[in-house]
Amino acid sequence: MALVEISNVHKSFGEVEVLRGIDLAVEKGEIVTIIGRSGSGKSTLLRCINGLEQINGGEIRVAGEQVHSRSTDLRKLREHVGIVFQQFNLFPHMTVERNITLAPVLTGKITKGAAARELALKVLAQVGLEEKVDAYPGQLSGGQQQRVAIARCLAMSPDLMLFDEVTSALDPELVGEVLKVMEDLATQGMTMILVTHEMNFARNVASKLVFMHAGMVHEEGRPADLFANPATPELANFISSVR
Amino acid sequence: MRGFTISDVLTMLAAVQWTATLVILALAFGAPLALLLARMCTGRSRLARLVATGILQLVQGVPVLGLLMFFYFGMPVFLGIKVPALVSVGAAFTIFTAAFLGEIWRGGIQAVHVAQGEAAACLGLTRWQTFRHVVAPQAFSIALPATVGFLVQLIKNTSLASVVGFVELARAGQLASAATFQPLLSYACVAAIYFALCFPLTLWSRSLEDKLNGAR
Repeated sequence: MALVEISNVHKSFGEVEVLRGIDLAVEKGEIVTIIGRSGSGKSTLLRCINGLEQINGGEIRVAGEQVHSRSTDLRKLREHVGIVFQQFNLFPHMTVERNITLAPVLTGKITKGAAARELALKVLAQVGLEEKVDAYPGQLSGGQQQRVAIARCLAMSPDLMLFDEVTSALDPELVGEVLKVMEDLATQGMTMILVTHEMNFARNVASKLVFMHAGMVHEEGRPADLFANPATPELANFISSVR
Repeated sequence: MRGFTISDVLTMLAAVQWTATLVILALAFGAPLALLLARMCTGRSRLARLVATGILQLVQGVPVLGLLMFFYFGMPVFLGIKVPALVSVGAAFTIFTAAFLGEIWRGGIQAVHVAQGEAAACLGLTRWQTFRHVVAPQAFSIALPATVGFLVQLIKNTSLASVVGFVELARAGQLASAATFQPLLSYACVAAIYFALCFPLTLWSRSLEDKLNGAR
């Protein structure tokens, strides 16, 4: 059984149907990048996976559990599914340490105090920012904030991480440090689904590439194959336009 | 007739305790109600939103004097019992505070970016935990200058309690004026005391505002 199973998902915002029957399976340990033009429904699909958006048809299962079923405890599910946002969304009134430990403490994973600090330092080490443990988000650069956001996610020891255009709000010179952290995660075996415009990352790190077009999965497969031999003119166009 | 003496001033200063009592009562009962209304306005339940918004609009559309009269003359009629002036006046200012602070805090809560709540929810926090740890502290610092500003309004508005004979600062001034036939001096004294109470708060509100703008 795949970790994430998406079958025939439909989603509309008012009159506009943004997802028109999506099928996608993600195995444990896979790095899936979703590419496509803006408006093709990439981010919406990602937000559906952890229940941030309701769906109008079909179903999404994460670790066998139906995300949009009334009986599902979304809170429990989200403890295992981390998401990193384009705008970081760190809590500005808390130090980096509290940003990271708030959820693990409140959900009873760890206790306050020494254990919390230890966890914060551990996940910060993974993103190379131990020295910023006592800083406030406002004192950090965009790249550092995004790395803290990734660390905050890691502190919940998720089984799956979702990345929603996490480098799009960064200055170009800061993109590399964030991608580096994500590459490290990938090599450690984290299951990741990313929406991204970073074609090099999609080509070199991802194990599966998904091209979305007009609310559908237009093509999917191994990145090298898709980049070399796009089967449809839409993907061929897209690749040549972003190159 | 007698002259205006220092003892008149002392009587006024003593009456400040009743002004303070009204303010404290209004805050003690009004602030929790305000928080409830603000939460209802920003909550998920459509019914709660409708009810809370209705209350806010209704109370804000009525002058404080009207509220005072309603509770002072209305409570005995509707409840069938005579209540002390402090209770009816206190109730009027409680409702006034609940509505205005409720509106200020609603704005504060809504000024916190939706994505903050989303991020908290995505980390597995409950709705209450999200409000308590993520939204409320940010909303509070956004709304603090306006809250202190409202406090100034509240202090000055308690002077209206004098019309129903409640002896607070303004009423004490009236009494002094009637006894000494020195209205100008009496009311100047009253005004000076109100100013002494409110001005530091106004300054505080200003400095909070500057701090908030600096932090953004």
